[in-house]
Amino acid sequence: MSGRIAVPVFPGTNSEDETVRLLRDCGGDAELVHWSRAHTLASYDAYVLSGGFAYEDRIRAGAVAAHDRIMDYVIEGAQAGKLVFGICNGAQILLEAGLVPGTGPIRRPTAAFAKNAPEPHFVCRHVYLKLEIEPSRCAITAALPPLALVPAWAAHAEGRLAASPENLEQIAAGGHLAFVYAHADGRVDDAAVPNGSALHCAGLVNRAGNVLAIMPHPERDGWNFNHLDRSADDDVLAPSGGAALFRSFVEAASS
Amino acid sequence: MVNELSGAPNVALRDDELQRIVERLGRQPTPVELHAFDAQWSEHCSYKSSRHHLARLPTTGAGVVLGPGEDAGAIHLGTYGGERYAVVVAHESHNHPSQIVPFEGAATGIGGIVRDVLCMGAEVIAVADPLRLGRNAHARHVARGVVDGIGAYGNAIGVPNLAGDVYFNEGFDDNCLVNVVALGIVKESDLIHSFAPKGAEGWSIVLVGKATDPSGFGGASFSSLTLDAQESELNKGAVQVPDPFLKNVLMRASYRVFSLLRERKIGAAFKDLGAGGIMGCSAEISAHGRYGAEINLDAVNVAVDNMAPEVIAVGETQERLLWILPPDAATEVVRIYNDEFSLPEVAYNARAVVIGRLTSERRYLLRYRGGVVMDVDIEFLTGKIRDELPYTELIRHAGAAPELAAVDVETLFPRVLSHRDVASREPLYRRYDAVVRGCTVLPRGAADAGVLAPVPGSRLGVALAVAGNPRYGRIDAAYAAEHAVVEAMRRVVAVGARPIGLTDCLNFGNPRKPGQYGEFAAAIDGLERAATELDLPFVSGNVSLYNESTDGRAVPASAIVACIGAVEDVATIVTPGLKEPGSPLLWVGSRELAIGGSVLAELLAMEGTLPEISYAAERAAVGIIHDAIARGVLRACRVVTDGGMLTALARLAFDALLRGRNIGAEIDFGNPLCEAGGFICEVSDESLIDITGALRIGETVAGSQLVVNGVRFDIPDLFEVWSRPLAEIYP
Repeated sequence: MSGRIAVPVFPGTNSEDETVRLLRDCGGDAELVHWSRAHTLASYDAYVLSGGFAYEDRIRAGAVAAHDRIMDYVIEGAQAGKLVFGICNGAQILLEAGLVPGTGPIRRPTAAFAKNAPEPHFVCRHVYLKLEIEPSRCAITAALPPLALVPAWAAHAEGRLAASPENLEQIAAGGHLAFVYAHADGRVDDAAVPNGSALHCAGLVNRAGNVLAIMPHPERDGWNFNHLDRSADDDVLAPSGGAALFRSFVEAASS
Repeated sequence: MVNELSGAPNVALRDDELQRIVERLGRQPTPVELHAFDAQWSEHCSYKSSRHHLARLPTTGAGVVLGPGEDAGAIHLGTYGGERYAVVVAHESHNHPSQIVPFEGAATGIGGIVRDVLCMGAEVIAVADPLRLGRNAHARHVARGVVDGIGAYGNAIGVPNLAGDVYFNEGFDDNCLVNVVALGIVKESDLIHSFAPKGAEGWSIVLVGKATDPSGFGGASFSSLTLDAQESELNKGAVQVPDPFLKNVLMRASYRVFSLLRERKIGAAFKDLGAGGIMGCSAEISAHGRYGAEINLDAVNVAVDNMAPEVIAVGETQERLLWILPPDAATEVVRIYNDEFSLPEVAYNARAVVIGRLTSERRYLLRYRGGVVMDVDIEFLTGKIRDELPYTELIRHAGAAPELAAVDVETLFPRVLSHRDVASREPLYRRYDAVVRGCTVLPRGAADAGVLAPVPGSRLGVALAVAGNPRYGRIDAAYAAEHAVVEAMRRVVAVGARPIGLTDCLNFGNPRKPGQYGEFAAAIDGLERAATELDLPFVSGNVSLYNESTDGRAVPASAIVACIGAVEDVATIVTPGLKEPGSPLLWVGSRELAIGGSVLAELLAMEGTLPEISYAAERAAVGIIHDAIARGVLRACRVVTDGGMLTALARLAFDALLRGRNIGAEIDFGNPLCEAGGFICEVSDESLIDITGALRIGETVAGSQLVVNGVRFDIPDLFEVWSRPLAEIYP
């Protein structure tokens, strides 16, 4: 597989450039695919849905975009085993499309990234993603060490995992809880969660392990110059921090 | 008189101005013409009573790529890959709309300032929001709506909020100030101007964006009235409606057009539709290129049928821009917006459309439904009108009150930290996206200025900070203006950047009241003095007058200044927080025991002298900081500002605490709550730098104790005290 990665752009997407930039800096063959060229999407091997406010987050974040033509190709690809990685709005779209946790039919979501609580508004906050599954459980995280901590920025108003008790139970028991929020030292508690998410959930994976949806943005803490704690010896332009997850994705997409 | 002349109510033109128009036209103006002159000759568009004062500000220098006069200014940032890059900067107010409809008013403020930067051919990289808010119950509603509006707009378009500040003061109860700054990055060779280029006779005038609707009719003259008079304007819907979703697509479509123009080397002009709508924008873009224009209002994409021609021509519907393009390029550009970026599907009847052409004849002509509804000399319409109003010479503050040598720090410091002008701004700014675009080096709140690495692959950085202290503004307008320049500059220096330019937004009272107008004139004196002494040019700016309370009192004099800094290598940026126990702590720069205008003075209900501004000391301090960075000895740095030196030191400890480092300090200094200015620095080795003029106040220590003149504070406790107060307003 040549590993060509598409980053589709919906009307309202806003994080496409840095997403492509970090994928490339991590060795990926990535390019933007504007919605007017959606018909070319079938020719790509993997998809990264980036952040933003696709279709203005009308109805619910991701709800309209999940029914866009772009998603016809992404869903078809996911079902054929292609890698699909959604970040923030991209994660919301994957949830609304029913691809994660993937415990129900397509476009019939079994969970939602609902309005944040107790602060029911947009929150921009530095966080850590902690890998909650065996790395190999998800192709996209396979190159991460067990219990990996990935720095990232939460920046959303709708990121609180909400589902019925049965569906939450399925998420937990079925190994769908890919990432939780953690402190810098790896501790997981309510204070580490910026949005009141159930199960401290920051990311979900589907049953097959080829579709991953995370709410925080690793690409916003993806180069040394982004880190507030970098040392003077670091090459400021080098990818690091959140780039670990992008590298793991690129490795899987290129294999 | 107005009604007799036109049949149109609520125009702000004065009788003598109307008389001039009638004489020049040799007839009564049509309703379209009346509203066109009303907008174009408003203070908002014409700067008629402020321009001759503004002319005193320094606007030139080696780094100035484009000074004031177009939609935004531009300063040279640095070179990368053989290309010269400029930072584009614009600064505006949206005070009056924000007071009346806070969410929409503030959101359209961000929307407008972003277009000012976009239309220079730049990629928009940051916004900032200096806010001045009141303290009564209604002001709280305004405070929330304004922040939600700024967040909703900036977050959606994907532009990080890099800097900003907020003060709460009774003087803003009836008239908040919502200033907005935007930055862009552009190769200097790719800059697009706001006037038609040479040889453009017959070129197409292309309107792009939202369908024109009746919102925002009368906006320009609206903002040139006092808020009382504005109440009656409300029925007319003078405030615009924001659409950040459409703007997101418009920005990206415009970036695509920029690359088309670059590839094919096509000349063009691009301008934001602001005050005066289609008429104001098309008349200026044509007149400033020495052309006339002919426009067909029937071609304009509208949201509702049967709008009066003056509403189509002068209404200030948001999310619109205007291109001047060669006719064949216009066709291609229209296709990009309408087909490739499907504007008509993004918002109702949004699109790009050719509405007219440039003419060599210097007339401004509007057609509508087969008739001519406006036909005037374009120079007369857009020419510089002047309104030299009388003003009172401001009496400078003397303040000979006795100073405090020592204070009860134990009791007072927690009160200072929890003061509304000192407490953590995080509850407010965490609603803003600080890191979208992935270029953020120092996000909002992490340090005294925000820093970005705006050119992918390059080490170049740009820093941004704002300042303007209304406590000083109440005491002495000239001092407050001068201090705003100095403080904005210090903030940029404190993160390790080199200050390269300034912008200002001058928020003052009623120019027809000589006392209030005197404050405005005095503030310009202050800005001129500071900018000249520090050798920093103003590259753009804005004036907002008629900011008064309902009882006719002006808001605290508010010359709000933004300083832009350049960084050659972002690796040299000073990272936040104390680093190592046992490091010397230096106070670099001015450190007087003057308490005038300080938070401490307010808490003690005292007056005092204002801290003296010494430019020699200021330049020396900047030299020390830069030298310490160059030698690699500066570990951490913050500016002494609201809350005084001890607050600056506590914040360095908080910054460390937030990053998991428990480092405290032990210091001795007479009155550590004075806001005299200067910098608190943690250095690794003071022997490596020339610190003449700096004072060693103590050193950092292991653990979470801050010991001041023998009084011991627990840093996590102080952090709690400092963190909470604003959460009450922004839960």
